[in-house]
Formats: sequence, C-alpha cells, structure tokens
Amino acid sequence: MMQVNTRDAAAGGIFIAIAAAFALGTMDLTIGTALRMGPGYFPLLLAGVLGLLGVIILLKSFGRPSVEIGTVPWRGAALILISPIVFGLTIRWLGLAPSVALVVAISAFASRRSTVKLAVALTLALTLFCVIVFQRWLGLPIPVFNGPFAPLNPYFDMAYAPFGAAFSAIGSALAGVVAALRGLFGA
Amino acid sequence: MLKHLAAAATFAAIFAAPAQAQNYPSRTITMVVPFAAGGPTDTVSRLVAESMSKDLGQQIIIENVGGAGGTLGAGRVAKADPDGYTLLLHHIGMATSAVLYRKLPYDTLNAFEYVGLVTEVPMTLVARANFEPTDLKSLIAYAKANKDQVTYANAGIGAASHLCGMLFMSKIETPLTTVPYKGTGPAMTDLVGGQVDVMCDQTTNTTNQIKSGKIKAYATTSKERLAALPDVPTAAEAGLPGFEVGIWHGVYAPKGTSSEIVQKLSASLQKALKDPAVVKRFADLGTTPSSDAEATPEGLKTKLTSEIDRWSPVIKAAGVYAD
Amino acid sequence: MDILATGQELIANLGLGFSTAALPINLGFCFVGVLLGTLIGVLPGIGPTATIAMLLPITFNFEPATSLIMLAGIYYGAQYGGSTTAILINLPGESSSAVTAIDGYQMAKQGRAGPALATAALGSFFAGSVATVLIALFAPPLTEVALKFGPAEYFSLMMLGLVASVALASGSVLKALAMVVLGLLLGLVGSDVNTGAQRFTMGFLELADGLNFVAVAVGVFGIAEILRNLENETDREVMVKKVTNLWPSKEDFKAMVAPVLRGTALGSVLGILPGGGAVLSSFAAYTVEKRISKTPERFGKGAIEGVAAPESANNAGAQTSFIPMLTLGIPANPVMALMIGAMIIQGIQPGPNVASEKPELFWGLIASMWVGNLMLVLLNLPLIGLWVRLLTVPYTMLFPAILAFCAIGVYSVNSNAFDLFAVAAFGLLGYVLVKLECEPAPLLLGFVLGPMLEENLRRAMTISRGDPSVFVTRPLSATLLVLAVLVLVVTFLPSVRAKRDEVFQEDA
Repeated sequence: MMQVNTRDAAAGGIFIAIAAAFALGTMDLTIGTALRMGPGYFPLLLAGVLGLLGVIILLKSFGRPSVEIGTVPWRGAALILISPIVFGLTIRWLGLAPSVALVVAISAFASRRSTVKLAVALTLALTLFCVIVFQRWLGLPIPVFNGPFAPLNPYFDMAYAPFGAAFSAIGSALAGVVAALRGLFGA
Repeated sequence: MLKHLAAAATFAAIFAAPAQAQNYPSRTITMVVPFAAGGPTDTVSRLVAESMSKDLGQQIIIENVGGAGGTLGAGRVAKADPDGYTLLLHHIGMATSAVLYRKLPYDTLNAFEYVGLVTEVPMTLVARANFEPTDLKSLIAYAKANKDQVTYANAGIGAASHLCGMLFMSKIETPLTTVPYKGTGPAMTDLVGGQVDVMCDQTTNTTNQIKSGKIKAYATTSKERLAALPDVPTAAEAGLPGFEVGIWHGVYAPKGTSSEIVQKLSASLQKALKDPAVVKRFADLGTTPSSDAEATPEGLKTKLTSEIDRWSPVIKAAGVYAD
Repeated sequence: MDILATGQELIANLGLGFSTAALPINLGFCFVGVLLGTLIGVLPGIGPTATIAMLLPITFNFEPATSLIMLAGIYYGAQYGGSTTAILINLPGESSSAVTAIDGYQMAKQGRAGPALATAALGSFFAGSVATVLIALFAPPLTEVALKFGPAEYFSLMMLGLVASVALASGSVLKALAMVVLGLLLGLVGSDVNTGAQRFTMGFLELADGLNFVAVAVGVFGIAEILRNLENETDREVMVKKVTNLWPSKEDFKAMVAPVLRGTALGSVLGILPGGGAVLSSFAAYTVEKRISKTPERFGKGAIEGVAAPESANNAGAQTSFIPMLTLGIPANPVMALMIGAMIIQGIQPGPNVASEKPELFWGLIASMWVGNLMLVLLNLPLIGLWVRLLTVPYTMLFPAILAFCAIGVYSVNSNAFDLFAVAAFGLLGYVLVKLECEPAPLLLGFVLGPMLEENLRRAMTISRGDPSVFVTRPLSATLLVLAVLVLVVTFLPSVRAKRDEVFQEDA
C-alpha cells in the first residue's frame, strides 16, 4: 500500500478545483491575444498556472508519509462562521445594538468552556461598548436601534444623556485648558 | 405575505406622511453619497450637508456607499423608506449609468423624487507638458494625423474623464488610444510623468497642476472662461463649439417622499447654496452653486432627462458598457 | 555653498514647522489623533480609512493645519496599533502589517509578546524619524523618481515583489507559489478596468469593485485564527504562563539594529510609489532579512528580525507616502485620498503650490509627524504591559469581542452586508488552507497586487501599441526584471534548495 500525504493531496485538489472554477468563469469573457489582451486573458493564464501547481502538489503527495489533520471544532466553526452572516442580515434592519448583541451571543457559545451566565454578561458589556465607541464617539452612521426596535432609541438617548454630558464636559474642560495654554503662550 | 407587508407599509405611509411632514425633520437625516469618502462628490455633499443641517435643525450625516460607478448607492436609496430621512447626492453618473448599465437595480426616471441641482463642475482638456500640439486646433490636427498613436488617459468607465473623452473623440470624429486607470490620481501621475498624452478632468484636480506648469491646458469645457484659469480658452473659443461637459450634482429622495418634505428640502438646499461659506468653498473648487431656479425639483428633473438624451447617442456610438 | 544654503533653508523651514506643530492646540490634536489611531488600530477590523472618513466632518471646524495634523496622526497611529493586533492575535489591521503577524505572533506564542511589541514600537519610531527628515530634505527630488515609474516599471517592480514573496513562506515553496497565484486571481474579481466586463462576480453588483480587502484579511487571518484556537482550548492558558520579560534583551537589541536600518531604507524608497509601495516594502524587507540571515530557518518561528524589518519598513513607507500627496496632490493610497479631500474641504488646493503658498501648513504637518511618532512611542511603550495582559484574558471572552469589532469594521467600509458574507466565506477558506499548511500571507500580497499587476501589464502594452519589448528596453524596468530573475535563480539554486528542503523536512 503506497503512502499518501493526505494534507498535500487535499491542498493540491483544492487548488485544482479553484483553478477550474476560475477557468470556467473566463468562458464568457473575451480572451484576446498576448498583444491585445481581453478581460479573460490574464485570469485564464493565472488559472492555468494555479492548476499546474495544484497538479504538482498532488503528485508530490504520493509516497510521502501521511500526517494527522487534527481535530476540527465543528460546532464552534459553524457558530463562528454564522455570526458575521447574521450581522450582515440584521444590521440595517434591526440597528447596531441588536446586531452586535446577536454576534456576541452566537459566537460566545462557540467555545466549549462558555456558560450562559458568561455569554449574557459578555453580550451586554460588548454591546454597550461597541455602541458608545463606534456610534457615539466615532460617529458610525448606523442607528442604535432600527426597525421593530426603533421605539427604544429615545430611551437609549435618555440613558446616555448624562454620560454624553459628562464626556462633553470633560471635552470642553480640555478645550478650556488648551485655550488657556494658547493664551499663555501667545499663539 | 410580501404583498400584505407592502400594503401595510403603504397604508402606514399614507397615514404617517402628513404628521411627519409637519414636524420634519425630527431626527438625523442620512445623505447617501455613492462614492468613496474624500473624492470631489463627497466634498461637495459634505459642504452642502453641513449648511443644510444648520438650516433644518437636524444633523445630516453622509454615508458613503461606494461601488459599481455609483449605482449601488443609488439602488440603496431607491429602495429606502420614502420618509425624507434617506437622501441621495449623485453626479452626472445618474444620467449616464442609465445608458452605461444595461441592467440597473433601479429605474432611473421613476425611482426618485427630485430635490434640486447643486452645482456643475467644469472640466479641462489637458496634456503632458512636453506634448507637441500647442493649442486645441493643433491638437485636433495632430490627433487626426496620428490617430491611435495618441494616448488618452481616463479614470475608468463611467468616470467624468471617460465621458469627456468620449465626447471629445466623437466631436473630432477620431478615435484615440484609451488608457484606463482606476481613478484620477494614478491617471494624473502618469500624465505629469509623461507616460500618456492627453486627459480631460474636473478643474478640481487639474487647476493646480496647470498653474504650476506640470501639465498644459488646451481648453475648458465650460460656456465661459473660469476665474481660476483666466488664460485658458473655452472649447468654443478654441475652435470646438459644442464640446461642453460639466459634472453636475443633484439631490434626490426615494419615490413617494411627500411633496411637503421635498419642498422643505429644496428650500433648504437653496439657502445652503447662498451660504457664503459654501459659495467660497465652491469657488475654491472652481465651480458656482446652482441658481434658485435650478435648485428645484423641476430644475433637476429637466437636467436629468436632457442629459440622458444627450449622452445616449454618444455612449451607444462608442459601444462601451459597464456591465 | 549651495549645500550650506539648502541646509540653512531646511533649518528655517523645520523651525517654522516645529513652531506650528508645537502650538498647544496642534500638540493636543496630534495627541488625540495618535491616540485614536492606536485605538482603532488595536480594534481589529476597523482601519484608518474608515475612521478618517467618519471623522472628516468634525475637522470642518478646525484650522487647516490642526485638522491635517490630527488626521495624519490617526493614520500613522493606526499603523502602530495594527501591528499590535498582528502580534497579539495574528490579525493584521492593514495589508502592510500582514508580514509582522508571521513572526510576531510566533513570538507572542512563545511568551515574548513584550519584546515583539517593543521592537515594533522602537523600529517604527526610528523609521518614522528618518522618514520625516527624508521628506523634509528630498520631497521634490523623490517625487521626480516616482514620476519616472511608468506602467512597465510598475509591472516589473511587482514581478520582483511576487518572486521575492515566495521566499516568505516557511513551508513548501510550491504551496507558497500556489497561494500567491490564488491571491492574484481573487484580486481580479470585479469589473475589468479596460472594458468594464464583469469578471467572476456571479451577477452580484456588490462584487463589481472587487472583493473588499478588509473582508478578505479578517476572514483569512482573523476568523481562521479563531477557529484554530478553538481546536484546542487549553493551548492558550499554557502560553500565557510563559510571559516573562516585557523588554527586549541585550541580544534582541543587537539582533534588531541592522534589520531596522535596512527596513527603514527599503520602506522610505518604496513608500513614495503610488499603489502597492507601502505593502511591497514590508514584504520586501522581510524577504531581504530572511535571504541574508545565517539562520533563515528561524523565520516563521519567532525571529525578532522578522518583526523589526517589516515594521520599520511599513512605518517609513507610511510616512514617505505623504510625499506625492504633498508635492503633487496625488494620492498614493486611500488614506491620502482622504487627506486630499480634507484639504479641499478646508479650501486648500493640494498640489505643488502648497509648500510655497502655505509653508506653515506644509512644514507644520511634516514636523508634527516627528512629534506624533515621539508621542506614539511614549504612549505605546508603557501600554505594552497592558497589551500583554490582554493575552491573559480568557480566550472564551476575547474572541466574541474580536468578532464584534471585525463585523462593525468591515461593515463601516462600504455599508455593505455582502462584505460580511465574504468574511464568513474567506474565514472558511482560510481555515481549510491553514489546516493544509498553506500560509495566508502570500495570498494577501497576491490579492493586493493582482489587479495592479494586470492593469500595468495591459497599460504598458497599450501605450507601447502591443510591443512587449518595453519591459526590457526601459532601463529601470529592465533592471527590476533582472533582479527578479536573480532572486528566482537564487531561490532555486541547488545549495539553497538543499537548505530549504532540510528545513522543510524538519517542519514535516
């Protein structure tokens, strides 16, 4: 029985498959010639090179000792990969706070060590942090709540108002200091 | 299900509209700019939005939704709620996309309400400093004699420089070799470096290079000479009448936005365009704000339809499409 | 005489610059800028482009010099912060810190996050200081060099960069090559610049402008790394216990001096080139170090040179990329385009006249870069302890935060949900490839260079009317191509190959 390095064989196979997909994608593009290249020329050339490299990698995998691929965290992977998709689907519809909360809540359970208590705490803390930093301070143009949650916005504004006032007080105090310094140094 | 939702939404909109119009605007307004931040269109919109915010008493924030020659951002606004809280500031591409793209995610003439025309930025026909022809007439003669030996740089399909180039070639009835770039920046670098021969771009990008002698100007594409470049003749003066291109900008709202809101926005736009700060910054950009007559829904509608009619034959003759 | 006069002029100019930069208000906003830059650099996913775009409206109310000083501070502050995440969690915030992640993250895994961060900070500070002087001295002549680069030269330069990047990989040369080519292909997705034809977009308008860099980088590096860490959740705790010293040892300092100098030189030169300059410089600096090292097998396993050289190079490059913007009004990258936008909003026409018409702005900005770099190093060195402590936060709590920041960051670039689907897709691809021992860094380089390589190839051919000899008849282009061939030959020389194979055997 000949040995096969499954890791290299798989890598070669994936490269061949991707090359084939790109080559197929150039089918409806003009190829042109080396002197007058069409939109399909360069990609087809690259797909050819990638396919060739894939074949060499695949061939070289035969006769080499096999290597363990290692464990794959299936549940974790599924949750981690789903969370950005959920964010993309909900951000415009529900607003920033619910979307961030969903991302954190979903991904928190990707770890086998996570507990419900931890997930809830993380969700609350991170959502608040993201909303304040990105939406309030950096001016990200996304409403905190939107769609069905939109009525919550005034409540958030009210809850945030004292903090906002505190932050702007600190800001104007700093500006005052700067202005005073400016006066002192006669700018 | 969808039908019901749509019906419910329409129902809600009908009842909500008058109440909304009275105390409009009661919250932050989003103005979508369908290009990257920092570009000329973005600059124009930020200047206008800043001034309109003061007048309306609510912040107008700019959201840059770039991509696909401005059609992605326009498509976003076309689908937005017609409540006056999502607006679009788009340039001439609104008209040319209708021809350049055979498949658009929106119907250019029926998906928007018109708020008003903002401004029109003229362009200049320029060449590398050591290019042989000295004026527009000799350039045309040179182009006819050397045809595709002359290279024309543009900033990609649908860009202002591309439109201007197409019009120039159709006017002089001579095809030149087009060298496309991704954006005006690299195109200008290669023009200053002498890698390509000719280009046509907004005065915003060319004025300084012309003044410092890094490139030379043949003509402006405006009706009158520009204050910033008094020595450069207009195309008509230099012997190519009808070679007029302006990158005009307009503000739109989604179809179905109540006419009260549109009127309110239009009035606010007119005020913003008279704001001395805006007038001054526009002058720095080499442009003037639209008049009260133009900064109206009718003014913008007239401009849009006439520009679609004007560019269709040029683009179709050139046979270029963006998709 | 001339030199003397130039020297005096320079001192006068810099004096004017420092008197502007030292105004309390400018010092204050310079600090705000670098602090903000560091923060957004450290928050993975959100980059300087998005932040500067969001903050543009605020700068309306500032003096022009103040506003530019703050925005510039955000830019180079983000470069510092970006390398911090590259080192700590293997997530480069910018394409230019992708290389830093290779050895920096390995150092962090070995408990040497402190020295790695200190090296990055010190190397960047040195490079930043040198580049500032270079800008002051040579801005106009350097611009002339950049202008000599036509399409043929760019094509040849990128070929050199790609060939050199093969030496980056610590594993199989073949796989590294395949990753570069895959990156090139991914970079071509979107509208063809020449004809407008849609390539590999599968009908999605969102793909018309190509895949979003941030989405690809976050997916391939960030998500893949999270998944890898989830495989064995005990690894992380072990690693943290090993953190010993925060400061580089004497040997570390000795080892970093030469790489920092070489990285600074490379970065300063390549940074002025529009487009891939800053990215290429960090990749090139890494390759050079690996090539001339007596122990190349250490690279990819936590070599301090592999952090020092690219970090110096990317900071020098970030600084000198201001040159074409300041002297010609031509943006070398998206951030410079925003700076130009900020100037126009302020009523300043960027271009050759800025230095003569607004000397206090021009020289003030240059002087503020040095001041800002000083602030950054003072700000970052004490923070190293804090960042290293971040590693002691249980991973269970850390990665939901990374995901949330990445999601917001990616969305903020184009306000486009599609980009988030791309994050998931590239996370999956990245994880599979890493599992199969294919390194992601060459893929990212290919992705950035792919469209530029093709564009310049076709542009050169268009301008030469289909004559391929331009690549060898133009002296600069020919030199670069000869260099590329040399690197290729050296890589495949029997002696080098034997060494590589040896290393590879050890690896396997």
